[in-house]
Amino acid sequence: MGVTQQGIKLGIEARELRTQAVDLALKDAGLERDAIDGYIRAHVEREDLRYMGLSPNFSVSMMTGGATPAFSLINAVALIEAGQAEMVACVYGEAHSNRAARGGQPIGAYGYGYPMLYGLVGAAATHAFHARRHMHLYGTTSEHLGAVAVTQRDYAVSRPGTLGYNQPITLQMHQESPMIADPFRRLDCTRDTDGGVALLVCKAERAAQLHSKPIYILGGGCGHNIVNWHNGSVFDFHDNIEPAKKRAFQQAGMSLDDIHMAQLYDPFTISPLMQLEAFGFVAKGQGGPFYGEGGARRDGRIPTNTGGGQLSAYYTTGFTGVIEAVTQLRGQAGPGQLEKASTALVSGHGMNAGVQNTWAHATLILGNEP
Amino acid sequence: MTEIDSNLLDAVLKVGGDPADLAFWQGCAEGRFLVHRCEICNRNYWPASRCVEHGDRAMKWVTASGEATLHTYTVMHRSYIPAMKDRVPYIIGVVELAEGPFYHTNIIGCERDALKVGMALKVTMEPHQSGLVLPMFAPLT
Repeated sequence: MGVTQQGIKLGIEARELRTQAVDLALKDAGLERDAIDGYIRAHVEREDLRYMGLSPNFSVSMMTGGATPAFSLINAVALIEAGQAEMVACVYGEAHSNRAARGGQPIGAYGYGYPMLYGLVGAAATHAFHARRHMHLYGTTSEHLGAVAVTQRDYAVSRPGTLGYNQPITLQMHQESPMIADPFRRLDCTRDTDGGVALLVCKAERAAQLHSKPIYILGGGCGHNIVNWHNGSVFDFHDNIEPAKKRAFQQAGMSLDDIHMAQLYDPFTISPLMQLEAFGFVAKGQGGPFYGEGGARRDGRIPTNTGGGQLSAYYTTGFTGVIEAVTQLRGQAGPGQLEKASTALVSGHGMNAGVQNTWAHATLILGNEP
Repeated sequence: MTEIDSNLLDAVLKVGGDPADLAFWQGCAEGRFLVHRCEICNRNYWPASRCVEHGDRAMKWVTASGEATLHTYTVMHRSYIPAMKDRVPYIIGVVELAEGPFYHTNIIGCERDALKVGMALKVTMEPHQSGLVLPMFAPLT
C-alpha cells in the first residue's frame, strides 16, 4: 500500500499524487515498476501510464462513485483469477483544492438532474433525505448524528496526518455548528481533500514473498440501491447492503461476530449509523443510541472508522476505510491501534445516478491471515 | 408524440434534461402533472421509464391527480447555485405522488416548522427562468 500526504491545499497535481502513491506502494512491497501488469484507476481520467513509466497489460478507469475503491479491489481479484495479471495496482489521486483554485466546479458533477431546478445540488442534500427519513421513522436526533461526529473525531485527535489531529470537538460544538442542509450541520459533513493512494493486489503466494506485510481480501460483495427505488423504499435504505453482505461473508466463511472493526463509507454522519444497522451490528433504528452509548468506540461493540473516517481524517472517496483497515490489520496504527485487529469490514458507497437518489455499494472483508 | 415544441426541447436540453420527458414538460406548461404508466400492470413511473416487468410495451403518459404526501425533505441553508443563493433557506422535498412515484420539488406556502413527513400536498405550477414550468407542492388545505 502507498498513501501520500492527505489534506487541503497540498499544491500537488492529482496525477502527481497518484504517481507518488504508486511509488510508495512499490517501495512498500519491495517491487520494481515493471512488476505492475494491471492498472485500475479509481474514477475517470485519461491514462496515467506514460507519465508513471508503467507497462501493464491493461489499464482501466472505473467509476462507481465512492464504491469504486472496494469495487476496484474486487475487480483486481477477478482479473488475477482470470489470468490477465499478476500484480494489479488500484490507484486513486485527486487534488480537489487545485480544482477549486481554477474556479468553477462543473455543476453537473454534483447536480442530480431535474432536482437541480429546485436548488438541489451537493451530496449533503441527497443524504439529508435519508437522515430526515431515519429521524421520522426511528426518532433519531441531531445529537445522535453529533455522537457520530464526536466519536470519529476522537479517533482522529490522536492520529497524525488527519484533519482532526489535535483538534477535538464536543457535542456542543456540533450543535453550534451552522446548518448546511437540514438536518446536517457543518460538523455532520466531510470536506474534499487532496491525496493519493495505491493498493497492489496479487495472489497470496506472491504476497508472501514481498517486503510488506500482506493483507488478505477474504470476501467481497456488491449491492445497488436502485432496487429500492423500484419498490418505493429508497429513502429508508442508505445502501442495498443485504446482497453485498451475504456474498462477502459467504466468501469469507465468517459471521458478524468474527469482525473486529468496521470502516464504513462516511460522507455524512448518517452514513455509518445506517450502515451499522444494515449490517446487523445494531438493531434497525437503534444506530443513534448506539453511537450515543459509545458502541462504535474502541471499547464498544464494533470499533468503527477508527482513523477518524472521511469525516475527521481525509476524504479519499472510499479508500479512507481501506487504508485504515490495512493500517490496523498490519498493527501500524500507533496510539490508535486496536487490541483485536485481525479482521475488518470495509464499505464503499456512491455514484448517485440522478433523480432516483440511489447509490452503489461494495463490501470487503479483509484480514491479516489467509 | 406528434409535434414537439422546439422551444420546449431547447429548454429541456439546456437544463440537462432528457428528451424522453418532453411530454411531461409539455403537460406542466398546460397545467397538468403527468406520470408514465404501464397500461398492462398500471404501475406508474416518473420520469420516463420502462416498466420493471413489461418494459416499454405499454408505457403511456397520463394525467395524475397532482396530490402527494411529503416523504422526506431538507432545508437548504447553503446553495452552490448562484441563482439560488439569495433564496436560502429553502425547502426541497421528496414527495410521494398519489399514483406512487417519488418527485423532488420545492415545498412552498409552508413554514419550515410546519413541515411534517406524511403531510398532504397539492401541486401548483410555477414558471421558471429556464422557460420550463415547474411543478411545486404546497400544503393541501
